[in-house]
Amino acid sequence: MGIEMSGLTVQLLDIAAGALLLTAVLVVWRRELSVILRVFALQGVALAGLVAVLASAQRSVELGLVALGLLVLRGVVLPLLVRRSLAGAGPVRRETTPMLNVAASLLAAAALTLLALAVSVPLVALDPSPATRAVPVAVAVVLIGLMVMVTRRHAVSQVVGFLLMDNGITAVAFLTTAGIGLLVEAGIALDVLLVAGVLHVLTGRIRETFGDTDLSALRELHD
Amino acid sequence: MSTLLLLIPLAVPVMAAAMYAAAGWRRPSAPVAVVSAVLCLAAAVLLARLVVDDGPVMVAGLLRVDALSAFMLIVIASVATIVALATPAHLATELAAGRIDRRDARRHAVLVQAFLAAMTLAVLAADLGVVWVAVEATTIVTAFLVGQRRTRAAVEAAWKYVVICSTGIALALLGLVVLNQASAHSGTGAGLDWAALAAGASALDPDVTRLAVLLIVLGFGAKAGLAPLHAWLPDAHSQAPAPVSALMSGVLLSVSFYAILRVKVIADGALGPTFVRVLLLAAALATLLVSASLLIAQRDYKRMLAYSSIEHSGLLALGAAIGGPLASAAVLLHVLGHGLVKSVLFVGAGRILQLTGTSRIDEVGGLAVRRPVLAGCVGLGVLALVGLPPFSLFASEFGIARAGFEASLGWPTALALVLVVVIAAALVGHTGRMLLGAAPEQPLVPCPPARSTTVAMVGGLAACATVGVVAGPLTTLIDAAAAILTGAS
Amino acid sequence: MNPLGVAGGVLQAVVIVGGAPLVVGLMRQIRARLEGRAGAGVAQPWRDLRKQLRKQPASPRGTSEIYRSAPVLLVATTLVVAVVAPFVTTASALPAVADLFVVVALLALGTVMIALAGIDTGTAFGGMGASREVTILALVEPTVLVAIFALSVRAGSTNLSAIVGSVLDDPARLVSPASLLAAVALVVVIVAETGRLPVDNPATHLELTMVHEAMVLEYAGPDLALVELGSAMRLSVYLGLLANLFVPWGVATGPGVAALAVGVAAFAVKVTLLAAALALAEVFLAKLRLFRVPELLAGSFLLALLSVTTAYVLV
Repeated sequence: MGIEMSGLTVQLLDIAAGALLLTAVLVVWRRELSVILRVFALQGVALAGLVAVLASAQRSVELGLVALGLLVLRGVVLPLLVRRSLAGAGPVRRETTPMLNVAASLLAAAALTLLALAVSVPLVALDPSPATRAVPVAVAVVLIGLMVMVTRRHAVSQVVGFLLMDNGITAVAFLTTAGIGLLVEAGIALDVLLVAGVLHVLTGRIRETFGDTDLSALRELHD
Repeated sequence: MSTLLLLIPLAVPVMAAAMYAAAGWRRPSAPVAVVSAVLCLAAAVLLARLVVDDGPVMVAGLLRVDALSAFMLIVIASVATIVALATPAHLATELAAGRIDRRDARRHAVLVQAFLAAMTLAVLAADLGVVWVAVEATTIVTAFLVGQRRTRAAVEAAWKYVVICSTGIALALLGLVVLNQASAHSGTGAGLDWAALAAGASALDPDVTRLAVLLIVLGFGAKAGLAPLHAWLPDAHSQAPAPVSALMSGVLLSVSFYAILRVKVIADGALGPTFVRVLLLAAALATLLVSASLLIAQRDYKRMLAYSSIEHSGLLALGAAIGGPLASAAVLLHVLGHGLVKSVLFVGAGRILQLTGTSRIDEVGGLAVRRPVLAGCVGLGVLALVGLPPFSLFASEFGIARAGFEASLGWPTALALVLVVVIAAALVGHTGRMLLGAAPEQPLVPCPPARSTTVAMVGGLAACATVGVVAGPLTTLIDAAAAILTGAS
Repeated sequence: MNPLGVAGGVLQAVVIVGGAPLVVGLMRQIRARLEGRAGAGVAQPWRDLRKQLRKQPASPRGTSEIYRSAPVLLVATTLVVAVVAPFVTTASALPAVADLFVVVALLALGTVMIALAGIDTGTAFGGMGASREVTILALVEPTVLVAIFALSVRAGSTNLSAIVGSVLDDPARLVSPASLLAAVALVVVIVAETGRLPVDNPATHLELTMVHEAMVLEYAGPDLALVELGSAMRLSVYLGLLANLFVPWGVATGPGVAALAVGVAAFAVKVTLLAAALALAEVFLAKLRLFRVPELLAGSFLLALLSVTTAYVLV
């Protein structure tokens, strides 16, 4: 899109994108789930900030409202929901034995960032602008979220991984063409909220039936 | 008139869900689901006639029906009818056995109707974004249906189901976002409207579109049971209540596959047929291989049916990869045939589970002696599933294979056929052990009679056989839909 | 080779050699005060050095020339860095040596020499300390390289003076994600590389946790004095690099006695403040278990890598 951005706007955009990535890395780095949740809430704020910067660059009230909605949903509602799952998730409040140890996951996150850079080349080439240049960062957040989901064993960690992916996808959506239609956007937000709700309930049930939320206990079903 | 017809399949399940939410699951309210399904089926048939005669119908820029959507609507409504007929007996037995209570039964009825509404929305939506929202909504509404029994296994299956499907579908969303970017820069103003995208496909940036299509096929492939993200399917299908398994296997997989088909049309226009063909061919063969290797030594009959569903998803992918009018028509016929037969089989499997109390193949034994009608239906269903005539799966598998050899994809097709034969042998062998032989000592659990279930099973098999022998007016619809898939119209 | 560079280089060497022990003394004094002790005074490291230097040289039986040359090499390499890198002035006596890669390699050389000397003693502690040090080094060196490289992307040169100069020209780029991430990564690795808490405890001789101290356990007399001086200089050099890469103001860019004097004062203030902050942080930090150290360093490596990525991507 041919929106002119001032130097300051570009810098703010870059900082928001950097914060998005940094929070994703911190989620991989830390084991204490309550810390992870705080970092995740920060990421929601960074995402809302990103959209707010775009809104001010395009002077779009609609986008400003979307930013506000994102702030409420991803900075407050979803973190609170996951926090409640954590409160009901039993005594284990740490990601004790991830399938990939933390040092290795950090190096894997580095590799994933490079991968994100490589796969986003055509996207950036299609429309080189300050906003699309930040797309690889958002794609990296998606991949890191995917990795957290695959390698973590605590139910709450997996939920955070899923939401991390989703934050990344939302960031890609706004950085590319400033969203994909208000109706679809609202539908996606609702879906994410509902999935988080479903996972919240299921976390409670896992705790009820297995006595723990360590997902390595899920071994009933196999061939 | 057409607007009304288009809204019926969407509004009727929603109203039925509201009714169940208000009134609960009782003897008088039970037939509402059947009425709802039959109404949808009637509306779908009328819509199909309308579309074949007059071309696509559009409502408010949000919903659109062409021949392909109309065909999918018919599949959804037919399977919904079978399931609606079988549900009362299933729930009555579960209630009598105390495995669920009234609240669970009400929730089941409400969620199933919501599930149907979401699938209908997915095939009616004109915007791929809305298709995504609807497919994701199916995950949400079925999560609690899968975990209904609250045993360890059921909770585990529900967790895996939600996590894997949501992850996969999130990748599809990323793909749609990327596709949207390509669309925004193509200058056609198509947004994510599939018809406009297909029309203006040649203007899409090929590199960006390739990335988008890869993500979308991977993502919706997860929900359609294609490898590598198929792991949720056997768990969810084996733990869900029988009517829900029937719906998930019979239509949910093909609704997700419908999304892949829509994107394939766009991708073929933008990238040429090779890219998606290679992608789908790889997925198809991997899927068939997974299914064959896990079916040979399968010990659980519900999981057996689930792996068979994975197999058929692989066949659909194979047919879509081959492309062309013959293969496309065969794929659509296969969707219908598999939907009918698999729902009959899952309903039957649910009945067997209730009667014997076990889901292990070697603990059933001698069902033909004890319950000849049920055993007959299940036996015929498995024969239909492995592609014996006169059932329509014979015609569709034959069509896919022939098209494969004609399209000079001989080696992959031959490999797929070998795997299909292995799977067929495994299925028939396992089913034979269940149905034939001497009955075990342990008596069957007394269950309420299930006349409507029998009607549903016989009806489903009869419909499948009829379609296999005389497709009749369905041929016109399938040809029109296949023309859309090949980009000819 | 310009006159400013030569004057600055000599000045830098004098300031760092003279000031480094004082920085160490300051940090010990701050810790002592915060922990409720009187402390030995800021000049105590110098008094220690004087005492050590007066002693008769002694080396353990069976050690080779590596053991004897390591302290000299440690001080020598650090001294070269102290001369060429932009601490007081951006004009370098040997501009070619003020390159990022050369500086990092020189600093690594000193560390490797000390590690070899630790092995050379043939004692259990020496070998253990060396193996731990090399493990840390293997993660630290790439991080330093990559982090400073991220800063060099915008300057368009890997010359440290050019990097510092470009930040002076355009201070706004300091608040970019690339330089923020690089700053965090550098802080972590500098803490690790100079053997401070939470990676290593400079005040302990508890065998289970030592890293640096284990390697130099056998040194005595003038050799020990050189090792101590070298370590102190490394700390100052790293803190000085960190300070000038991110807060370059005050560094002399033109000739003149006044500019050089301002440069020295600014450098002293910056390093003192950083050292005080580090000492303050150490009071509140517990030592990390040794097997968690790679985690910390892998994290900082990731940050450095991200910093390069964003430097290239978000232009």
